[in-house]
Amino acid sequence: MDKHNNCNTGCNALMRRIRALDFAIQETVLYLDAYPDCAEALEHYHKLVCERNTAVAEYEQQCGPVTIFGNTSTSKWQWINGPWPWHYDAN
Amino acid sequence: MWIYEKKLQYPVKIKNCNPALANVIISQLGGPDGELGASMRYLNQRYSMPYDEVVGILTDVGSEELAHLEMVAAIIHQLTRNLSEEDIKGTPFAAYFVDHTTGVYPIAASGVPFDAKIFAVKGDIIADLHEDLAAEQKARVTYDNILRLTDDPDVREPIKFLRAREIAHYQRFGETKRELSSKSPNAESPHPRNHKRINKLSNVRM
Repeated sequence: MDKHNNCNTGCNALMRRIRALDFAIQETVLYLDAYPDCAEALEHYHKLVCERNTAVAEYEQQCGPVTIFGNTSTSKWQWINGPWPWHYDAN
Repeated sequence: MWIYEKKLQYPVKIKNCNPALANVIISQLGGPDGELGASMRYLNQRYSMPYDEVVGILTDVGSEELAHLEMVAAIIHQLTRNLSEEDIKGTPFAAYFVDHTTGVYPIAASGVPFDAKIFAVKGDIIADLHEDLAAEQKARVTYDNILRLTDDPDVREPIKFLRAREIAHYQRFGETKRELSSKSPNAESPHPRNHKRINKLSNVRM
């Protein structure tokens, strides 16, 4: 596993996908907060969350954890591996 | 980025209101050694930290402090719920009430509003870690003082949990600093030349 996980093109593409899905979910959540009875928005939310979970599972297997619950390796603590999100190399 | 989790880290369930007690516990929200200052101090110190181990502990302790901020706010909220005017008149809570009603506002027990000076970010690994060790002890003393001021077990239990976490954080910061010093002795030197070298080591795994 590459310790500079985001240098890997596959990991970069996966993270771009997660970021896009998370943003779409965020927007849907804000909408649902105001319109909790909107069935169409709720359906959209479930579709996005399903895609998001798949993308995060794939990223955490191949690239490293996204949250403290996602350290998939049983032999190595990967959570602290840089680059961190604010580093130039991570973006 | 952060995602909110809809739960308290440790439960807060206070049967009896006590606005005078809320008036002193609020220091751990907006006071000089409170959880707002702690969370922002650690999370802001991360950007200039050259070692992943330190960035990791600052990220995770800083995030946990946000959870503690919410617990202290929950204690304030429950101690000031369902109040009558008679519960407020003539108590030390009256001064807070006139400015903020029963809203949760970051302020010290002494009445001074939250001051960003207490974030204390120096941009130096040793200075910042020593700041953090001191901060955890000062927060622990504040929780000790709160425990001296109340017999209510509903309040004491979550406060005791928060006090224990200050000690755990102190130990983790201390161990991180010790691990770092043993792996990289130059990191302990405050000499600017060494500091420059440390910054160049950004992203290099120890």
